[in-house]
Formats: sequence, structure tokens, C-alpha cells
Amino acid sequence: MVNRKLVSKALTMQRRKPTVYSTRWAMILCVLLSPFGNINASLASDTNTISAEKTTVINSQAKTSPCYLDGMAEQLQCGQITVAENPAKPDGTQIDIHFAILPAIKNTHPNEALLAIAGGPGQSAVEHAAGFDRLLSKVRQQRDILLIDQRGTGQSNILNCEDSSVTSTLAFDDESIDMIAETQKCLDQTTADITQYGSETALTDFEAVRTYLGYNKLHLYGVSYGTRMAQLYMRHYPEALATVTIDGVVPMQQSVLAIGSAIERGFQLLIRDCENNTACQQQFPELLADFTKVNERLAKSPVTEKVKDPLTNEPSTFLLTRSKFVGAVRMALYTPAVRALLPHAIHQAANEDYQAILGIYALSADGVGLAMGMHASVVCGEDIHRITEQMRKDAKESYVSANMIDGLEQTCEVWKMPPVDDDFSQPINSDLPTLLLSGELDPATPPNWAALAKKQMTNAKHLISPFATHGVAAQTCANDLIADLVNSNSVKDIDASCLEKDIRRSFYLNANTVEPQLAQAAPSTDDDAASQNATGTDKE
Amino acid sequence: MISVTNLSKKIGDVQALNQLSFSAQDGKITGLLGPNGAGKTTCLRTLFGLLTPDEGHTEVDGINVAEQPVAAKQQLGLFPDPFGLYERLTPREYIQYFAELSGMSRKDAKKATQDVIEQLHLNDISERRCKGFSQGQRMKTALAQAIVHQPTNIILDEPTRGLDVMSTRLLRDILLDLKARGHCVLFSSHVMQEVAALCDHVIVMANGQVVATGSPEELCQQTGETSLEEAFIKLIGTDEGIAA
Amino acid sequence: MNKLIAMVRKELIDAARDKRSVMAGLYYAIGTPLLMCGMFMVLIGQLTSPEDLNITIQKAQNAPDLVRYLGNKGINAVDPDSAEKGPDIKDIDIKDITLIISDDYAENMAKAKPAEVILQADNSNEKLQKSIQRLKRELQAYNAEMGSLRLIARGVNPQVMQSIKVNVQDQATPDSRGGMILGIAIFTMIYSVFISGMNLAIDTSAGERERNSLALMLSHPISTRQLVLGKVIAVTTFALLGLILILLISKVAYAFVPWQELGFSINISTDFMALMFAIGIPVALLASTLQLFVSFMAKTFKEAQSYLTMVLFVPLALSMAASYNIAPDALQWLPVSGQQQALMDFIKGKDIPMMQLAVSSAATIIISIALMLGLEKMLKSEKVVFGL
Repeated sequence: MVNRKLVSKALTMQRRKPTVYSTRWAMILCVLLSPFGNINASLASDTNTISAEKTTVINSQAKTSPCYLDGMAEQLQCGQITVAENPAKPDGTQIDIHFAILPAIKNTHPNEALLAIAGGPGQSAVEHAAGFDRLLSKVRQQRDILLIDQRGTGQSNILNCEDSSVTSTLAFDDESIDMIAETQKCLDQTTADITQYGSETALTDFEAVRTYLGYNKLHLYGVSYGTRMAQLYMRHYPEALATVTIDGVVPMQQSVLAIGSAIERGFQLLIRDCENNTACQQQFPELLADFTKVNERLAKSPVTEKVKDPLTNEPSTFLLTRSKFVGAVRMALYTPAVRALLPHAIHQAANEDYQAILGIYALSADGVGLAMGMHASVVCGEDIHRITEQMRKDAKESYVSANMIDGLEQTCEVWKMPPVDDDFSQPINSDLPTLLLSGELDPATPPNWAALAKKQMTNAKHLISPFATHGVAAQTCANDLIADLVNSNSVKDIDASCLEKDIRRSFYLNANTVEPQLAQAAPSTDDDAASQNATGTDKE
Repeated sequence: MISVTNLSKKIGDVQALNQLSFSAQDGKITGLLGPNGAGKTTCLRTLFGLLTPDEGHTEVDGINVAEQPVAAKQQLGLFPDPFGLYERLTPREYIQYFAELSGMSRKDAKKATQDVIEQLHLNDISERRCKGFSQGQRMKTALAQAIVHQPTNIILDEPTRGLDVMSTRLLRDILLDLKARGHCVLFSSHVMQEVAALCDHVIVMANGQVVATGSPEELCQQTGETSLEEAFIKLIGTDEGIAA
Repeated sequence: MNKLIAMVRKELIDAARDKRSVMAGLYYAIGTPLLMCGMFMVLIGQLTSPEDLNITIQKAQNAPDLVRYLGNKGINAVDPDSAEKGPDIKDIDIKDITLIISDDYAENMAKAKPAEVILQADNSNEKLQKSIQRLKRELQAYNAEMGSLRLIARGVNPQVMQSIKVNVQDQATPDSRGGMILGIAIFTMIYSVFISGMNLAIDTSAGERERNSLALMLSHPISTRQLVLGKVIAVTTFALLGLILILLISKVAYAFVPWQELGFSINISTDFMALMFAIGIPVALLASTLQLFVSFMAKTFKEAQSYLTMVLFVPLALSMAASYNIAPDALQWLPVSGQQQALMDFIKGKDIPMMQLAVSSAATIIISIALMLGLEKMLKSEKVVFGL
């Protein structure tokens, strides 16, 4: 009796402050993101925002201690290891690498775990425990899920840049931002050795956590930028791995900044999808023209509107720049449900009604949950020097990526990282059972990226979901396929037929509905109406 | 030697034993003869300390049963009625078990069991379970149990009941053999012929009392009858007979 | 001492050859865990919603986006008409749940009026409840998502709908979530101690008297204390054998049940088995003395059986009460229920309440000793020995 009370009392102590992320310039610079933590989170009212509240009991003997993570009711296990910030100087500055274990429901493989690696770069894996738990619930039936806050993110000595100014995100002019000064300010805030926050150093932490916890083999699930970490793991510690799943793949061979053409492609697919959809086509016949119209208008001069603040409802000024507009459109392409609103939002904007764009912009203006310092350490060390002529050419086509490359080049002038070796860009040579997942509609890592990554993988399968965007496992049945892979240790028997299931979301036809009224949705109401409609009102 | 002195016992409202006194000598077969309900079994149970007498005492080889029950019982072997066999045990197990209960070590008990099995010609059934044994086989097993530990005193409660001629004859031989070896044999019976054929000494009981003692011949003489049966009827038949 | 060993050996040989005693113990020890596991396997299959939940959706053409959304969540629409046509479709398990999409669904939705869907199902059907809840949950999620998007379209951050954020911190451990089932499992184990030795207890007391071998035994140079001890040890040993058997069977059998589908695991660990056995010793002692005491009081085998059935209800009720958390705290200190509680705490990963365990175990032993003394006294009474 007495003991129990003590324990529960101890559990309620030690609350940590939620992580604060920089907001204002994150949207311009962030390269990849992952399906968690950005605008997805705020859509469904029952999911939670991206702050972690971890409660721990200090326990010196045990390797982990019970803790609670945001959005998960059950008691989990958390812990940390201390490593040298610079592995070459073992006696130098020490940092803590925090991790969390979602314990297997029935632990039939205590020597194995699935390590889920978050995206960004700069996302905290531990903070997204609830998302990973939903995604990997089948794997978790029999194996632990291990989440590690990569160094520089989450609780692991986060490299972040807190905003000094209090300017509203609605009113500030992102196009006039002085990237060099902002970065310098951020650099001045930190005492960390920023050169130690690249992917390969962080990988040694992952491996250290694995050996610390005594897992013989890890199954990997990497999403978005996490796929780079997973591939590095395959390169450096293949003996520690059982299977690998990479979802939204960034191939080692190229810089993530090649994203420009991917964004452009993603947008073109939106236009195509709307054109192919009877209802959308009828409602927004000039979608591309509408988009161009807004772009041209904003290119001349930004629009200033008197609005109510989307969150607080206070009267505010909304300065809509071209960069904010295309940034909002880009963010919306990540999430199928928000993507469905884009035709309406663009059409309204063309008619000088910016409410929907404001709504979409507000979703990500709060910050996208990235540790921008760590993000910069990765991109400046691993990607900026790999920008090719072709990429610059592509970038000219895409306003977003041109902006991004410009911004990052300025950032990296201040955020000085030694470039990685050329070996870094070698394709991954591996015979590990590897599943590569791509979404056809992905505005960040299109299917041909995964195809490139797969080149020298001898035991790999590449699956493309025709309807998913970025992060296939979270949107489709692919999460079940991960469980199949983990359980069978082989990609051979994976049956990907479920990916063909039509899970498209209908486009919003106005601010309220996605369903066309049958009387108006003319052509296809003939004999086979029921089945036709069950698979969508679209015509191919 | 067994002696019973002034034994009285009331069971319920019935005065089962009433100032009963007698003794049975070593090297002799003593018969306890009485009609049903005379108190024979009660008397024997008291001898084993299973019943506590209201009055009087019993001694086995001079040991007071009430005071030292274990020591007294060490000197006794009981052939009970009914036999109380364990149907799921073999005669060998059964006999050896009681040998050990009588205080023999496991090793000695084993040997004694083998001896008694040979003595009573139980070899052919010694490894079969008792379930389904004939009355004669049961009797032999029970008897073996009673004598396996070589007690000086052997008490048999209605030993011939339900036995066929062959078994009865076998029993008789064994009892005579025991007598010859100097054991004190006490048995209760209501069958005249048995008593007449075997006993050196007969105690006739009725209503919990001794009505006459002596050898079968003496009893006949006492009553003036030629057969023990007639004598017996005369002895227990009327109050006058007892007084005479 | 020799006599005691001889007695115990004989009782065990005798009991081992008694099909009725052995079977009673065996059937229970083997049958109960298997039965429970079988039952739970069936239950789990019925209670959990199938991965692909097939339901009937009428007028699906009125809301294709909703139907596809549900499809992505594994809730598939099966057309009632086509089910009669295709032979292979008949094999699909279609749950008796119907979703009817109203004819004015699209019209209302376009005007931001609530669009109606009708969910028809028998909510009292236990087998359907999980599936109904799942469908409701997904409809709610779709509803929330559409609501959010409507707000976004109006330039409002959907976060405004979340006025409070409830973060539940469940104090349960993975083991304690299965507490109810573990309670029943422990209950069956404790019960096995009572069941396994019961037939032997009756056989060796009332049965022995009925076969007239009791008087014969008492005619031998042994003390009644030796006789009582011999019988108690034999019955206790038998009870503990039953316990070991049920523990072993449980360890194997429980591993086959897909508990994880209910969200917890049940693992009969070696530690638990050792503890259960240790705690089971005094309980087995109590069980055997109690059963012997009652059987000696009865005049016949049959009578002993019916008495025991009644008397055993007491420890059973104690154990049962402790396994459902309805018990008053006092139960923690009582025999049987105290041990049961300690075992449940152990398996739930809590600290074992040592004090309560010590008190209840001590009480168990004291009661056993009292019963043994009572037996000893009883066997000196002629009434008991001869069943008068």
C-alpha cells in the first residue's frame, strides 16, 4: 500500500517544459518534413499538438524509467545516454541523447526492436510517439518500438533558434527577411559545436542506444529525412539490422535540395487530378490560370488584408506575399485532406478572397516543429555543396525552391559546416530486406527518388501508392506491410495489392462540401452508378 | 497373554459390557463364544484401545492398554471383521504397510512380508491388486497382515465367517501352528464347531458378561450335555442355567 | 518417522491408483487452463473488430468521399445486392451493421447543414459492439476533419475547437491491464489446490472408515497424531501436485492465446510460478486439513462429498471476491483472499504487500494446525472412528 502511493507521487513530479520551436522563417527553409507534426496534427480535433510532456522517475539502476508522452495515455519507458558531443574528443562536452520505448504488447522478440526515425531534418521522434504508435501498432504487438531524439532535436540538446522579435506571423514580410542576420542571431544563442550535429555523428548515437539497450537486431522505419539516417545505418552497421523500411525516400546520391522539381511535379499532379475530376473540373475550370493570376498579382506587390486572427480572432493585418502564398500551397500538398481544399482556396484567392489561404497558411505559420539549428547543420553539411546546375535550372522554374536555395545558401554562409566526403553520395549497397515506399502524389520525395536509392540494393522492393503524398505508411495500408516485413524478414511475400485501393479524397467544391450533388454531377449516373461512385466520381 | 478385568462399557443405552473379566494364555487358543450382540466385538475393540471402557482395564503381556496404548498394541495382531483390505494395493504392499505400521523397519518389513507370503502360500496372488479377491484370498491376506510382525498375541474377530471348507481348514492349521509356536491366540466366534475343534479354552459370553469358562469338555460336563452346542444353549438360554 | 513415511507412501500409491481421485485432479488441472484459453480465444475473436470490417452501406453513391475514407480505415462497404450474385462474396464475413446515407446528404453538406447518415445495428449484441464503436469513431474522425477543413476555408485555425487538451496518464502497467483475466487465472490455480486433493481427502477419511480399514489402522501401534499427519501430508502433496500441473499447463496454454489483440499480455513467468507454489503450500495445507476434518465428520463418502461442496464455498468466495476488485480491504488479511491479492499484485508488477501476505499465510497455517489438532481429538473419539 505504502509503496504504491510513493510511486504514484513520484510519477507526477518532474514535468518538463514543452519544446519551443522557432517559427518565422522555418517555413521558407524547411526542406522535407515528415507526415507528422506539421499541419496534419491540427486537423483532427482529438489529436494533439507537438509538445512533449515527459514525466520521469529518477532511477539510477534501471536503464529506463516509466514516463508519459503527449497523446499517449499508457505508461511508456524513457531513458537517456550520455555521449561526447564530439566523438573525437571523448572527454569534451557531453550531451544527453534521450529515447523512449513503446513496449511491445506481447514481447515475443525481446532482442529486437523497431527503430522509428523522424523526418525534418529537425523533428523529434519522441514527441511524435503517438503518431508512430498508431502507425506501427501492428509491429508493436510483438516488438518494442524505439524512438530516439536525434542529437539537436527534442530533448537531446536541441539546436533551435528562438525568435527575438515579437512581430506577428501574419503581418511580417518574409521576403524582406535578412537571413544572414537571423542565422547569426541564432548561432549566437547556442553554445553547442554545430559541426557535430550532422547525420553521421548522430548515427553513432543511435548505435550507442541500441547497444545500451541490448537489442541484437533493429528493424528500421525511416520517413522523409529519416530515410537518410536509415540508409546510413545500412551502410555503417548492417550487422545490427534485420529489416529496413524507408518511406518517402531521399537517395544518398543526391542533395535534398533537388526538391524543386518534386514540388513543381506535386503541384502539376494537383492540377491534373482536378482536371480529371468531373466535379472539380466543373467547379474550377481555370485552376492553373487562377494560380498564375494570384502569383502574378502577388509578384507585383503583396496584398494586405484586415483579417481576424485565425486563432485568437483579434483584428489583425495579414500581409500575403508571393512567398507566403506558394509556401502555403506547398505545405497543403503534403496532407491529402488539406490538398483537397487547394482548388477552392486558389480559386477564391484568384477572386481576391484570401480566407482559405489564410487558414492554410495559419496551420504552418505556428512553426513546423523543426529544430532549425539542427536542420541547418544537416543541410549545410550534407546538401548545400551538392547543388548541381540542373537543380539551379529547375529552381528557376519553381519559386519555392529558388527561394529555399537562396535562403539556405545565405544561412550556410553563417552556419559553417564542413562538407561531407564524396563517399557520402555513394548509393547504398545492401542485401538487407528493404522496403521502399513512395507516394505518387508526393510533393517532396517522388517515386523516382526511391528508384534511385534502390539501384544497388539487392533484396529490396519498391512500392508506389498511387494515391498517397509524403509518408505512405501513415496514409495507406503500407503500415501493415511494414509489420509483414518485420515478421517475415523478407520482402518476397509482401502483398502490395491493398495499395491499389482507391483512397482518394474528393476535392472541396466550396467551403463546405466534397460531395457533388448528383443532379449536377452529370455524366456518370448510368446503370453502374453505385460501383462507379464507390470508387470515386472521377473519370480517368 | 491377554487379561481383561472388570470391564464395563455402555454404548448408547445398551450396557455392552458388564464387569467382564477373563484371560487368555500364551500357547493356547482361547475362544470367545457368544450370540450376536453379546459384546464380543466391543470387548475386542476395547482391547485395542479403540473404545475406552467405563470401568475396568485390559492388559496385554502385562501392559495396561489405556496407559500405554502404543506399547500394548505393539504386542497385538488383529484379524479384523470385516477385513479392511485396500482394494488398490497388492497383498504384498498391504502386508508390508502394516508391518511398517507395527514398527518394523522397511527392510525388516520386506523380509517378514516375504516370509509370511510363503507361509500362507500367497505367492500366486501377492502381486495382484486385492480388488476381486475371493473370500479365502481375502482372509489369507488379512491373516498375513495380522501375523506378519510376529506379535505374541493374535486376536481374530469372527475369523471363519464366510469361509469355505478349504479356507476354514487352512485357517485352522495356521492357528494351531501359531499355538504350537507359543502365541496367545484369542478369537471370537458364534460357530460351535470351530470353537469345539480348536479351542483349548472357551469363554462363553452373554449380555456383556462371562457366563462360563473352561475347555469344551469342561463346559459339557458343567452343563451335563454331550455336545458343546447343547451346552452353549443351556448356558445362555435361561437365567437359571447361569445360576446353576 | 518410519511409520509416517510408510503411511504417506501408501496413501500416495493408493491415491495414484484411484482413477477417481487422479482424474478429478487431472481433469481440473489440465482442463481448466485449456478451457479458459479456448474460451478466450473464441471471445477475442468475437470481441475484437476484424481488420477488414465489412458492413452494408446503402446509397453509397450519395457520399463517395466518406465511403472511400472509411475504406481506407478498413471499413468496407459491401453492396447487399451484389452479395447475392457473386459466390465468393458470400464467404466474406459481413457484419450486421448498416449505414444509410440520406438522399439530401450532398445538398445539406453543400449548405454546411448537418448531412444525415443513419447507423443501424443492434447495440446489445456484444459481438458487434467493438465494430459499432469503431465505425462511430471513424465517422467522428471524418466529421472532425471536415469541420476542421471548413474552418480553414473560413480562415480560422481549427485549433480553436480544442478548448482543452486532455492528456490521460494511465497508471496501469501492461500487466495490470490483464488484471481481471489474471485474477481469474490465479483463482483457478488456487481452486486447483482445493480440487486436486479433495477426492483423496474423502477417500482417505470417510472412505477409509467405510472400508473398515480405519479401525484396523488405529489397532496398530501408531498415535492418532501420526495418523493425522500422514493423511494431511498425503493430501497436501496431492494438492500441490495438482497446483504444479496447472501451473505448467497454464504456462504453455496461455502463451497461445493472442492476448495482444486485447491490448495486454499475460505471461506466466517462472518467477510467478515459484511464488505461486510457495504461497500455495500453506493454502494446500489448509485445504487438506479442512477437507479431512469435514470428511471425518461425515458418516459416509457421499455425505462427505456434499458437505465439502458446501464448505469449500467459503475459501472460493474469498478467492473470487479478491479476484474482482470489489472486495473490502479486510480481505487482504484473510486466508486465501490475502494470498490471492498478493499474487495479483505481484503479477501486476506492484510491490507485494508483505505484511498482508505474512498475516494471511500465518492465519492459514494457524487454522490448519487448529484443524489438525481437532482431527487428532476427533480420531480418539469412538463415535468418529466407527461412524456411530
